[in-house]
Amino acid sequence: MTRQLTERPPAATGPAATAPAAPRRAGWSGRKRRDFFVFLALALPNLVLIAVFTYLPLFNNIYYSTLDWTLGSASATVVGFDNYISFFSSADAAKVLGTTAVFTLVTVGGSMVLGLLVALALNSKVRGTTFARSAVFAPYVLSGVGVGLVWLFIFDPGYGVLAWLLRGIGQQSPQWINDPQLSLVMVIIVYVWKNLGYCAVVYLAGLQSLPQDVMEAASLDGANGFRRFLSMSVPLLSPTTFFLLITTLISSLQAFDLIRIMTPLGNGTSTLIYEAYLQAFGAFNRAGYSASISVVLFAILLIITVLQLRFVERKVHYS
Amino acid sequence: MALNLDRRHFLGLAGAGAGAAALAACGGPSTAGSPAASGAAEIDFSGVKPAASIDFWTNHPGKSQDVEKAMIEKFQAKFPDIKVNLVTAGANYEEIAQKFQTSQAAKSGLPGLVVLSDVWWFRYYTNGNIIPLDGLIKQLDIKVDDFQKSLVADYKYADKQWALPYGRSTPLFYYNKDHFKASGLPDRAPRTWQEFGEWAPKLKASSGAQYAYIYPALAGYAGWTLQNNLWGWSGSWSDGWTFNCDSTESVAALQWAQDSIFKDKWAGVSSKEAADDFAAGITSSTISSTGSLLGVLKSAKFNVGVGFLPGGPKNESAVCPTGGAGLGIPSGVSKEVQLAAAMFLKFMTEPENTAAFSAATGYMPTRTSADMTAVLAATPQIKTAMDQLAATRVQDNARVFLPGADQEMAKAAAKILTQQGDVKATMTELKATLEGIYTKDVKPKLKS
Amino acid sequence: MSLLSPVSPDPAAAAGPSSSRSSGPDGGAQGAHGAPDADPGIPQRRDRPFSRANLVRTIAGGYIPLILATLVVFLPLLWMVLSSLKQPGEIITMDLKVLPESLNLENYQTAMTTVPFTKFFMNSLIVTAVGATIKVLLAVLTAYALVFVRFPHKNLIFVLVLVALMVPPQVSILPNYILIAGLGGKNTLWGIILPGLGTAFGTFLLRQHFMTLPASILEAAEIDGAGHWRRLWQIVVPVSVPSIATVALVTVVSEWNDYIWPLIITDRPETMTLPVGLTLLQNSEGNGSGWGILMAGAVLVIVPILLVFAALQRYIVAGLTQGSVTG
Repeated sequence: MTRQLTERPPAATGPAATAPAAPRRAGWSGRKRRDFFVFLALALPNLVLIAVFTYLPLFNNIYYSTLDWTLGSASATVVGFDNYISFFSSADAAKVLGTTAVFTLVTVGGSMVLGLLVALALNSKVRGTTFARSAVFAPYVLSGVGVGLVWLFIFDPGYGVLAWLLRGIGQQSPQWINDPQLSLVMVIIVYVWKNLGYCAVVYLAGLQSLPQDVMEAASLDGANGFRRFLSMSVPLLSPTTFFLLITTLISSLQAFDLIRIMTPLGNGTSTLIYEAYLQAFGAFNRAGYSASISVVLFAILLIITVLQLRFVERKVHYS
Repeated sequence: MALNLDRRHFLGLAGAGAGAAALAACGGPSTAGSPAASGAAEIDFSGVKPAASIDFWTNHPGKSQDVEKAMIEKFQAKFPDIKVNLVTAGANYEEIAQKFQTSQAAKSGLPGLVVLSDVWWFRYYTNGNIIPLDGLIKQLDIKVDDFQKSLVADYKYADKQWALPYGRSTPLFYYNKDHFKASGLPDRAPRTWQEFGEWAPKLKASSGAQYAYIYPALAGYAGWTLQNNLWGWSGSWSDGWTFNCDSTESVAALQWAQDSIFKDKWAGVSSKEAADDFAAGITSSTISSTGSLLGVLKSAKFNVGVGFLPGGPKNESAVCPTGGAGLGIPSGVSKEVQLAAAMFLKFMTEPENTAAFSAATGYMPTRTSADMTAVLAATPQIKTAMDQLAATRVQDNARVFLPGADQEMAKAAAKILTQQGDVKATMTELKATLEGIYTKDVKPKLKS
Repeated sequence: MSLLSPVSPDPAAAAGPSSSRSSGPDGGAQGAHGAPDADPGIPQRRDRPFSRANLVRTIAGGYIPLILATLVVFLPLLWMVLSSLKQPGEIITMDLKVLPESLNLENYQTAMTTVPFTKFFMNSLIVTAVGATIKVLLAVLTAYALVFVRFPHKNLIFVLVLVALMVPPQVSILPNYILIAGLGGKNTLWGIILPGLGTAFGTFLLRQHFMTLPASILEAAEIDGAGHWRRLWQIVVPVSVPSIATVALVTVVSEWNDYIWPLIITDRPETMTLPVGLTLLQNSEGNGSGWGILMAGAVLVIVPILLVFAALQRYIVAGLTQGSVTG
């Protein structure tokens, strides 16, 4: 990945790169030396913090993942890859990966499709779009704990407002809390509600940077015009779509607070990240096993990042 | 020069990295020694002076924050030299356990005294996180003989006492007296589930409530209260270390429960707190902890009746598990703190204090000599809970000794009671899970 | 951009200037990033103003989705506020009323007395203010260094920062807990703040933005003899206000809402933050009156951040889309 990044067009890396590519260690001019220290002074605090609190834990995790270690116990035994083997050979793996796939695909797909539709509505030339845009984005900034509790109350099969509405039409509330499949549906709905505004706002920005003729298509009457508009704008929006795909994918894979608050046992909702948490801090206290799940999750995230970097690189070259 | 700089830079970075690694490595587990020798050596407390300050970690079971505060004040008045900090370490037993286990990993910030539930204390024991109390019991002259025998026996293992009972409960059968009367039913809890099966349609027809009976919320309750159903049919989660939750009897018991929801349609499953559903009038009856009693009496707008848990076709009595929490002392704190904690523990479990705790929550008094006359005059229903104690049965090993088994039971129950999953298949799957936990997490750590 | 604007169903808008949109607060922010803002003169006017079909279409296509989307956001929050005013008897009932019987603040009182909510609030305020300020500052400095200061293997460093974004914070909990507790940071505010201070996200976003700045202005300043420090504060920062504001907003929001780390590292109310305190309100047994109190707690956690958001929302579009525009 490094290689590709450094191959970027020189203009992209700022004035530093436009300086003549002098032979590397031939001689340190005063300015070069000064820059060296300026860089350290500016960037080092942040980089050290990232190293200590992000990378170090990551390596610790990789180390822990080779241990048979019960959280709370002072000793552990080294077991090599046993934790990985037992994760992938257990029924847990299929279940957890399946839940992760469903949760991620539905939340990413759902918030992007709905986000695009909301963005199209926001892009219309009626009054109040500025307010509506802020309103739609608002859930994105709210506390997952607070939002989780509010929706848990709404979904409550006994006293929730949904149950009440359903009773009004003679229906019984579904068992949102006890039924694992419905729990997953519930958490997905709330997650999409919370993150939809982000997609809408980013899509809106994409729409507003489209060329005029596409926008004119939108002004044609009827379904025909709308379809033509879509067929013209969707390809043009593909950079935005790609950006959203990556960012929402990553945050979906890291979704935690809502799951923790709404379904503490993770019955039906245990995604990779939540399973890692549950295995260590839930009832089992299998700290080593949990670490191995964390590492699997990190590997998946890393692959996504690498794909993103490659894709971006290719785009730069093509354009 | 340049090389020089680079090397210095590199060395600096390497040094910082190594320092941080060393810093991180000072926590974490040791891979060198043998497994923790839990309670191997008896600690000698002679000549130890109690610490000036200890933390008491609790989740205030049964909304007991106020009564806990009051007890601490009384303790403070008696022992002004020991300050007790009341710490809300979580909203439930699981959250306390999470905090406690995490603190173990960092080997710091441990409390002097901790509330531990029936499913957690054994884990603390196998991990070597708590000390045996025998030495302290002798030194402080804690009258163990005066405690309810069965409640003390729950915390005995390998000939040592690992905790003492605190907020101890049994499930109780709660019923709406008004509904029962309106349906022409006798004013008592059913003797067996079969009897209730005959009552239920009448109840549902005339009470106006959504359900005749509601099963307690699965998360946190299924593993505990379903033992009643299993035992009534002479099934169980486990017999010793044999996991027989897929036996014909166990399957029959849960099949009956499933039918009550999906076939006969008079029962439901609570989502959060069956006691609330009952108090709100959603259901004519339910099973809930004695710890909910005071709350139900306060919020229900009808006459509340309580009774023993119903039996089943095979067993009519001794079908009630005990439950709730005890108090333990961590191994990772100083002797001084342990001694001070034991003094506080002794105080908390004294007859008048356990009576006060019982009066505020509905939990059972843990001492036989506790004077309950005033309490029972105010809340006569507590008497039923106390009487039922004589007919309790020790919980199945699978639930209390296997880490995470309670949750697995709740998941299995969810499959059976909300998704109408096949009972036999679900129980067979649960059996495999339980056996897996046993071989992986428990068997290697058992003594004897 | 103002294609449809002459045809407005709103009489006030029809009477006013033809474009109500470009004067919105986002207009400036958008413009700063060179998003093409249409010249209202170019598009041809369509001569079908106020036709019935057009009116219906504007309402159906413009207003109804907007109103729906806004309602979907607001109704749950409205329900939260209404429920926070209800007594247990009004919640634990089969006979639900939408409006509370009276304007009763008892739940708020209970929430604030059973747990020290004022203390939580102050802690959250301190953690957010200190944490966010340092993080934004670090992000600006690092991003500047990554883009404008010569250093060997800068791109490798950037990739390492990028990869740090991929490490889920929950994964770091246990190692960080051991580290911070070992340093004596348990139940301290600095223990809550410190592990989150290193900012990969802010660095990433600002670096992407700084890369889009024209090199010429900086070169000019360099020729004038302006050092890095002056170039940073007098040129780069002033033209990057929207992006920095976005980073600030996102940082403030994530500091305020952070849950799992403060939960693990604190066990005393004196140092807990609001989201952690909120979960303290949940109690395992006998939760009859719980919902009203929990909703009151949720209001106390959610409203402050909504206010901050309302103040900073105009920058969102500008900043968040940086990444999508520059790749």
